[in-house]
Amino acid sequence: MPRIVIAIGAILAACGAAAGQPCGEEWPDAAAVETSGYTLKFRTRPAKIRIGQHFAIEMLVCPREGAALPRTVGVDAFMPEHRHGMNYRPVVKALGPGRFQADGLMLHMPGRWEFRFDVERQGRTERLTRDVVLK
Amino acid sequence: MIRLLRMVLALCVLLLAGLLRPAAEPALVTFTPEETDMILAHGPWPVPWQRDASNRVSGRPEAIAFGRRLFFDTRLSATGTVSCATCHQPDRFWTDGRPLGRALAEVDRNTPTLANVRLNRWFGWDGANDNLWAQSFRPLLDPRELGATEGKIAEAIRNQADLLCGYRRAFGEEPPADDERLVVDVGKALAAFAETLVTGRTSFDDFRDALARGDRAGAAAYPAAAQRGLKIFVGRGRCSLCHFGPNFTHGEFHEIGIPIYRKAGGVDWGRYQGIKLLRASRFNLLGAFNDDPRRAQGAPTRYVDLLPQTFEQFRVPSLRNVALTAPYMHNGHFASLAEIVRHYSEIDPGKLHVAHVYFTDGTPEDGDPPPADTTLRPLHLSAQEIADVVAFLETLTEKAPAPPAADSEACPAPSRSARGGS
Repeated sequence: MPRIVIAIGAILAACGAAAGQPCGEEWPDAAAVETSGYTLKFRTRPAKIRIGQHFAIEMLVCPREGAALPRTVGVDAFMPEHRHGMNYRPVVKALGPGRFQADGLMLHMPGRWEFRFDVERQGRTERLTRDVVLK
Repeated sequence: MIRLLRMVLALCVLLLAGLLRPAAEPALVTFTPEETDMILAHGPWPVPWQRDASNRVSGRPEAIAFGRRLFFDTRLSATGTVSCATCHQPDRFWTDGRPLGRALAEVDRNTPTLANVRLNRWFGWDGANDNLWAQSFRPLLDPRELGATEGKIAEAIRNQADLLCGYRRAFGEEPPADDERLVVDVGKALAAFAETLVTGRTSFDDFRDALARGDRAGAAAYPAAAQRGLKIFVGRGRCSLCHFGPNFTHGEFHEIGIPIYRKAGGVDWGRYQGIKLLRASRFNLLGAFNDDPRRAQGAPTRYVDLLPQTFEQFRVPSLRNVALTAPYMHNGHFASLAEIVRHYSEIDPGKLHVAHVYFTDGTPEDGDPPPADTTLRPLHLSAQEIADVVAFLETLTEKAPAPPAADSEACPAPSRSARGGS
């Protein structure tokens, strides 16, 4: 019996280790942002963002430290220096566990934009951000 | 004699020194790498032709010819006295020179030029339309503009031999029995014509292209005042944040502190109202009149957001040929380019983005900063700097008009009274 408990414990530990390597080897070329609870990898479609052209963002959200998989992710973009965001509201759809796609983003000005990803965790929102500079 | 020889010798030395000295570098303002990148982003010009997939006759010569005929035809108006060309006058670069447009009656907004309109994402000062064909038939039905009805327009197309001929050639079929559908087709023919109104190259384009190929001498041929104005435009003036790209507009909307009270009374809410109209329209790109079954161009309409800051916003216009299209702004508020530059130079941020406060609780979302756009800030330009920016804007005037589209007219001429003048 103790052996069985140890074996189950080892399996759980292995699973935990896997969870502790958020996103593993998937999307090696994607940008990654992290909080204490999540690693979020994302890539844009098309890959190059053009000013004034709509694009989509594919996301892979990987929990850390026992955090649960989020059911959805909020996506937005903001220009901190100008204090305004986009004129469009993206629509996020789930593609599978931890996988999402946001459609309808459009950055209409050159300059520094901040991507904002909001992930729900235990009733509160964790925000992950990543800058992109458009010329 | 010796004195004379010395003088001749000295003169020769001076001449020789002048000949041997390297030619003076032409005057070229120093632009930072960031400024240079921004300048290059304003070209090349012209932008390659691309047909409008939502309009099945876009680019079709027969439709362009039919649209041209309709554009100048007064038979489409309620009184038979006005046409599209009443406000969009070719010899005024497709504007009317008035602060507020006037056909059958005065309207609330300035007549925008039609030049380069094919490059727009949104149409009208408030972007109430997302396509050129819906925007093109809208004035036909406005009581203050052409004041017609769908029935009157449909009747004219069906019963006037030249118009019926034009329709058949443009669309390759008989006019539909449904008046509404026929009026939409009239809009599509008008749009096919409007797509051909493209401005020619400018001295700025020559400068920009010289800069792109590293031709300093070629670039230096651009007037010094214009170079200084351009440096302000793409640099500390930050004008190119909104007037971005080859057409000198990012195609979106901004509030710039222009009074919004209508001359006829009430308030012009601009983009906020425009989005509401867009969403309510059966003629937007998500609707049944879009000829592209994939609705590939529908993303802006699908995702546009009715945000509080859209109050008082108006579409950022192109600056090509801007020196020829006074007066300016959505209500013709400014008579000259110098007035505009002065306005931006001394803008009071405290008077911007005020209206939306009355329509929201003002609570920032999720720790966002308060919704106060800080894109515009005063520049305090000197009189010389204002003159330089104006000098730059004047170099956005085409050197020669782009060649007109080939005329494919093969229908009988309309009666003399039908022509609005072209």
